[in-house]
Amino acid sequence: MIEIKKKQFGDFIKNLMETYRVFAPTKDGKKSSFSEIKKADEIVDVHTTKSAKSVFFPQAEVLFNYSENEIEVPNLEQKPIALWGIHSCDTKGLLSLDKVFKNAHQLPNNKMYEDPYWNKKYAESLIFTLACNEPLTTCFCNWFESGPFDKTGADIFVVDNGESFLLEAISDKGQTFFIQSGFDQEGEHQHAVFSLKKKAESMMEEKQDISSVFETLNEIQEKEFWEEITQKCINCGACTFVCPTCHCFDVSDEGKHQKGKRIRVWDSCMFGIFTEEASGHNPRGLSYQRVQQRIMHKFNYFYDNYEEHLCSGCGRCIRVCPTNLDIREIVKKIIKRKNNV
Amino acid sequence: MIDKLHEKVKSLLEEKQVELVIGWGKGSLPLTATPVFIKDTKDVDQLIFDHTCRNNLTMYLTKDKKSLGKIHDKIAIIVKGCDSRSVVLYAVENQIKRENVVIIGVPCSGIIEKKKISELTNDMEVLSTQIEGDHIIIKGRKEEFKFKLTEILSDSCLQCRYPDAIEYDHFIGEPRGEIDINDEYSVVEKFQEKSSKERWEAVKEEYSKCIRCYACRNVCPSCYCNECFVDGNDPQWIGKTPEVTDSIIFHLIRNLHIAGRCVDCGSCVSACPVDIDLRLMNKKVEKEVKERFNYVAGIDINEKPAMASFCEHEKQDFILD
Amino acid sequence: MCNTYIPFQMKIENIIDENPDRSLRTFDLSFVKKEDEEAFKYLPGQFCEFSILGKGESPFGIASSPTEKGLLKFTVSRIGLVTNEIHHLQIGDIVGMRGPLGNWYPVEKMKGKDIVIIGGGFAFTTLRSLIVYLLENRADYGKITVIYGARTPELFIFKEELKEWDKREDLILHLTIDKPIKGWNKLCGFVPTITKNVEPDPTSWAIVCGPPIMIKFTLPVLSELGFDDNIIYTSLERRMKCGIGKCGRCGIGSKYICIDGPVFSLAELKKIPDAF
Repeated sequence: MIEIKKKQFGDFIKNLMETYRVFAPTKDGKKSSFSEIKKADEIVDVHTTKSAKSVFFPQAEVLFNYSENEIEVPNLEQKPIALWGIHSCDTKGLLSLDKVFKNAHQLPNNKMYEDPYWNKKYAESLIFTLACNEPLTTCFCNWFESGPFDKTGADIFVVDNGESFLLEAISDKGQTFFIQSGFDQEGEHQHAVFSLKKKAESMMEEKQDISSVFETLNEIQEKEFWEEITQKCINCGACTFVCPTCHCFDVSDEGKHQKGKRIRVWDSCMFGIFTEEASGHNPRGLSYQRVQQRIMHKFNYFYDNYEEHLCSGCGRCIRVCPTNLDIREIVKKIIKRKNNV
Repeated sequence: MIDKLHEKVKSLLEEKQVELVIGWGKGSLPLTATPVFIKDTKDVDQLIFDHTCRNNLTMYLTKDKKSLGKIHDKIAIIVKGCDSRSVVLYAVENQIKRENVVIIGVPCSGIIEKKKISELTNDMEVLSTQIEGDHIIIKGRKEEFKFKLTEILSDSCLQCRYPDAIEYDHFIGEPRGEIDINDEYSVVEKFQEKSSKERWEAVKEEYSKCIRCYACRNVCPSCYCNECFVDGNDPQWIGKTPEVTDSIIFHLIRNLHIAGRCVDCGSCVSACPVDIDLRLMNKKVEKEVKERFNYVAGIDINEKPAMASFCEHEKQDFILD
Repeated sequence: MCNTYIPFQMKIENIIDENPDRSLRTFDLSFVKKEDEEAFKYLPGQFCEFSILGKGESPFGIASSPTEKGLLKFTVSRIGLVTNEIHHLQIGDIVGMRGPLGNWYPVEKMKGKDIVIIGGGFAFTTLRSLIVYLLENRADYGKITVIYGARTPELFIFKEELKEWDKREDLILHLTIDKPIKGWNKLCGFVPTITKNVEPDPTSWAIVCGPPIMIKFTLPVLSELGFDDNIIYTSLERRMKCGIGKCGRCGIGSKYICIDGPVFSLAELKKIPDAF
């Protein structure tokens, strides 16, 4: 673990910028999001409104430009990204997204479909996960075998002890960065970190045992269950757009026939039009079917494929939902149903 | 008052006058009420009414192509002044049969806008609140604030002329009466003092925040089209990106679509996850309609909507403007 | 790194109107670049994203067979923005193509078996691919029975080939229309009923493809006849966008139609909620 005094932090970021494009939480109007910074003082220490997924998977991304029938792919050979100040929940979100963007494979011949736009950026990035000293009451990362000081997915784990940042190299990439930067892992700060960790954990609401959720969801057949728990949803996309793990997108062409670009844009399973077919047929035409899809995808379908939930408990969807449809309450109702049967 | 509301709802359900009552219940977060759908008299106690009952619940009457109305013959809905104007709007625009909806009106003394608290407390997470007279005490983990209610009520509420439900079958509570508001377009007037360049820059800056989640549209009772123009792809009217050039078209066209139809309930303002000032343009359009056509949305259930009627003497200067 | 989002170029070589109201058109396309042709290895049942720059992409099952070298065939029903644009294409136009995507009918596993192919409407495209493929490799397979239904005689696609197949002795073709019509001397009735009457041997492998309602009622008929869920296959359609399991649009249960399908056995489908 090495120590960077806050006074030296500006220089640290400046040095980092020589090799990396540095992304960090910044003010975004009255809200906050992750964006590329030029100076350390742009960084804010908040629970960002938007998740960090946009760093690697922007809301709108050019797949290629075209002119007549000539296609030009944007330059993917860019300076690698260093992502500073991302909390454990978002780091875990990136790991989930990486499974989707990297691992999707075709059956039956197991051909891998990589996503070049995501892969390179994510694979070459350096993730500085910042321990979350003050979780919010809407945070529930502790439901997912995680917590505010979870190091999973981090290259370098950072703890802010007030006057300094304490950095610990976690991954090979992190170790390499330490060596290249001339850092050695010597300094002893374990005690301070331990007490900050305990304090942060004590601030969290009680943990739920969600081990039964996957199985229970397999068993729920009746639509009434879904209709009832999702009735108040208005099917806006706020939850999906602030979510660190939602990855659905639309592909759309902009421009006229001769010249333009093909882009992918975040889409949302909450929108009726998401699955509507040209014929007018819509497999998820009703509101409850779409909320069911979102919940099933997060707590059953994804689990079926990867044995983990597509939710990291960041709580953003709870904070933005216009009707207070609290995802924790839905999961609790699923657990309760299991106990009632 | 809340007991009377519970009693009324209970009797409506017991006497089978309605099958479903839509109201507000306690939410999972401080200062947040949540819509509840009561079918059983045993759940009536869930209903609350206070400064947190933000949502204009009438939008559920048109949600999912009016599916609630298809399942239930008769629905009761609890409405504040602004919400009742949405019911009037629905009746005027033939979206509901007035006789199929039992309206329970309540007097509203304003809804708290959580965004104002965030701004005043530097985004402090609110853990608990307590109302003392016309003040509210807001407690966070480390800090505590005391505000006058008027500091944190929604702008729509501070400039609300009709706090009591206008249209109702049952009214619960003491009506506050019509309030004489003389600054209802103050935001618009202030904005209009700016130069056109400044206005354009301000509008662009505001709408550049948009993430196209459509929370504003989906909470809006006046936005009930089966297919919204932003969703059409043949032709595709606007791009789907969060670029301001696309977002601005969405917002400005939505403004025009709800011209003479917005009841200033403030739902969109509260719903926006990125705090866009959505009210300014809504008020601007409302002001135009009022001045040109002497029409205010949702006041008179027998009056034809401004955009569905035409009088020869109406000013048409805008055509040549 | 291979970028699967980038379409390669194909040229329209031929256009055939399949029905009198011209809502169904079959397009034959050739590869513009030799290397694209060489890289394009497919089997019956797979699909492509047909791309019109400026309008977007739409997924279509490949109607040609890999045995028909140098060309790809698609039948396009005009229903939306992209399909409308495709219908306006002329011979010689250049379009974009991505693929082959998805999985395929179990042509390897079916070797040596009898096969019954059941289709309806214009969803016959990948079935054509399969039939042409099977006939080209005729010796590898047992008895081949085809049941194909359409609302009216005009709505059959690949009419010329149907005539050819009807004359063959190594393929039994049952064509059926919904209601009797003057001049029609083949079968009348819905596909599930005809399937019941034809009574295919339950040891044969069944491939079913058509409108959801037809699939829904045909699968139980096959089960009643004694077909095992593992040898009944069908092909599903959803609004695939990326085609490579990322955009989330074609999810059914924990599967994505674009990478886990579009071809599924009934046994697999029974594990997926709301597959129909």
